[in-house]
Amino acid sequence: MSWPASPAWLEELQARFGDMLRTPLERSSGSLRAKPDAYPSALLEEALPTPNLTSGERLAIYNRQYWFRLFTVLQRAYPLTARLLGYWRFNEHATHFLLARPPRHWSLDEIGAGFADFLAEAAGNGNALVDDTRPDLEPDALLEAARIDLGYHQVFRAPPVARYEPSAADAGRLLQARLRMSPAVALLTEHWPLCELRRRALEAPGEGALRLEPRLARPRHWLLGREGLKLGLVPLEPRELQLLMLLSRGTVEAALGELEEACRSAGTSQELVELPANIQKWLASSVQRGVWRGADFAP
Amino acid sequence: MRNERNVPTMKRLEASNHQRNVGGLCQIRHGISVIRRDKLAGYSLDMPPVLAPDALGLGLRTAHYRELLASWPAVDYFEIISENFLGEALPARYHLDQVKERYPIVLHGVGLNILGPAPPEPGYLDRIAWLAEHVNAPFFSDHLCWTGAHGYSHHDLLPAPYVPELVELVAERAALVQKHVGRPFGLENLSSYVELGQSTLSEWEFYAAVVKKAGCHFMLDVNNIYVSSQNHGFEPSQYLDAIDFPRVLQLHVAGHTREPNGTLIDTHDQPVSDAVWQLYRSAQLRAPRPTLLEWDDHIPPLATVLGELDKARRHRV
Repeated sequence: MSWPASPAWLEELQARFGDMLRTPLERSSGSLRAKPDAYPSALLEEALPTPNLTSGERLAIYNRQYWFRLFTVLQRAYPLTARLLGYWRFNEHATHFLLARPPRHWSLDEIGAGFADFLAEAAGNGNALVDDTRPDLEPDALLEAARIDLGYHQVFRAPPVARYEPSAADAGRLLQARLRMSPAVALLTEHWPLCELRRRALEAPGEGALRLEPRLARPRHWLLGREGLKLGLVPLEPRELQLLMLLSRGTVEAALGELEEACRSAGTSQELVELPANIQKWLASSVQRGVWRGADFAP
Repeated sequence: MRNERNVPTMKRLEASNHQRNVGGLCQIRHGISVIRRDKLAGYSLDMPPVLAPDALGLGLRTAHYRELLASWPAVDYFEIISENFLGEALPARYHLDQVKERYPIVLHGVGLNILGPAPPEPGYLDRIAWLAEHVNAPFFSDHLCWTGAHGYSHHDLLPAPYVPELVELVAERAALVQKHVGRPFGLENLSSYVELGQSTLSEWEFYAAVVKKAGCHFMLDVNNIYVSSQNHGFEPSQYLDAIDFPRVLQLHVAGHTREPNGTLIDTHDQPVSDAVWQLYRSAQLRAPRPTLLEWDDHIPPLATVLGELDKARRHRV
């Protein structure tokens, strides 16, 4: 298909319009306001005023719509993160993210793909993710919340996937195989009761910040999966989570070796004694829960 | 806001418990008729077998999935936002497949970017064509606008200057799109909030010229005409006068919001205004056309939306 080219003047106009759309909204007044003075001057001349509105005021409608639409998309993709921070603070992070990585794909689902990583990078660069007024909210909790939101988003959007069920022929050579994890599952770890908070946030929508409850005595691990159209959490033991993560990264044989070594290093002889039976149990349940979608066998 | 071509497999719409077949039509409980799917065979791009002129449809929205699947209400057809179903996500596919077994479905896109500087992303039109085939859509539509440029996607429907040079450009592109997808293609008029000084044509002159030259169709949004008429100060009946109604595939109606500064915004978040219903009546006087209600934000229960759709019946001649 030969797509006719646009005239150069139109492309230039669209570049100016795009610059206008991406002009961040002013926050200093305590509300989000457009700044028409910051728009490209040529565009301000091209846009016609009305008796009631300047050209800048008319363009500002598009500028505000651009930002509020994208804020809404990110708030919906990261509901726990947004409610932990409250929408006002969340939108500030969203602005930085969207200025650094403006949407480039026609699908709204793609917009938030890098947000969790962006927050982690920002924290790594020493940027404050959380206000001083929030002693309950540690930055690590916020990053964990973003990863949990991302897991939910990915699992919910995953295509239908057939569960891998090893055949009798597979069983004999499974040690050398590498299992492929289903996109319809995610492995989550929480050091704060975040999954429960996420459920509550979705049940009672709002824009204000939710208080985070104290850090858990021990982290909790979950398998997030899909049963029909519904998402559900299944608790995982720490070694079970470790096994699933190792299996997703290397061959079954290598994963089992690493897990055994980890137990040995931990120096708990009882755990070592029980490990073979536990591995059998965890592998079987992972297959039954649809964690795997296939296996790649060495040639 | 509001995400593959061949001869369609024609499939008879299964009569559900609220439908009975009458003389080639699926007659819906309350007397509205739509053309049966097997009557779509052999259509031409020039004279499509559109939905029956009095068909009333709803935009399919996730907020209504549960009620919809529980009640299968008397709606003549549904319109889907194409881009929401181009991916492989299970929930979207599951619900779409349920709905398509019981209702005709038409496609309405927001991502074509027909006035943008770049061609559609590779595979985009193939996926639209695949989706149209999957639901056996009698037609598909998108907007007469641009949505992104220079690698950015703005996720908004943006205006361009209305000049003869762009009539030629868009018409050529629209004809290519219609040919590639292989089904009647409707272009929708925008709600807009700014006019550009380069324009030498009115919006309706531009719109009508594009459709005529491309050999495609109008997807005429009555609310958008009203919103733009108030924002730019023109007489909406002038707009309707420019439309070649035999080429209108469908009418859209929706609610809008008035901002404190007087600007009307196409929000789709409330009932259709009286002024828009009056304009709708005026359009129907020119020629009855299938009518689709869009409600995209602050979405009320399905019964409320169906009640709003039912008002269209009262505003017909």
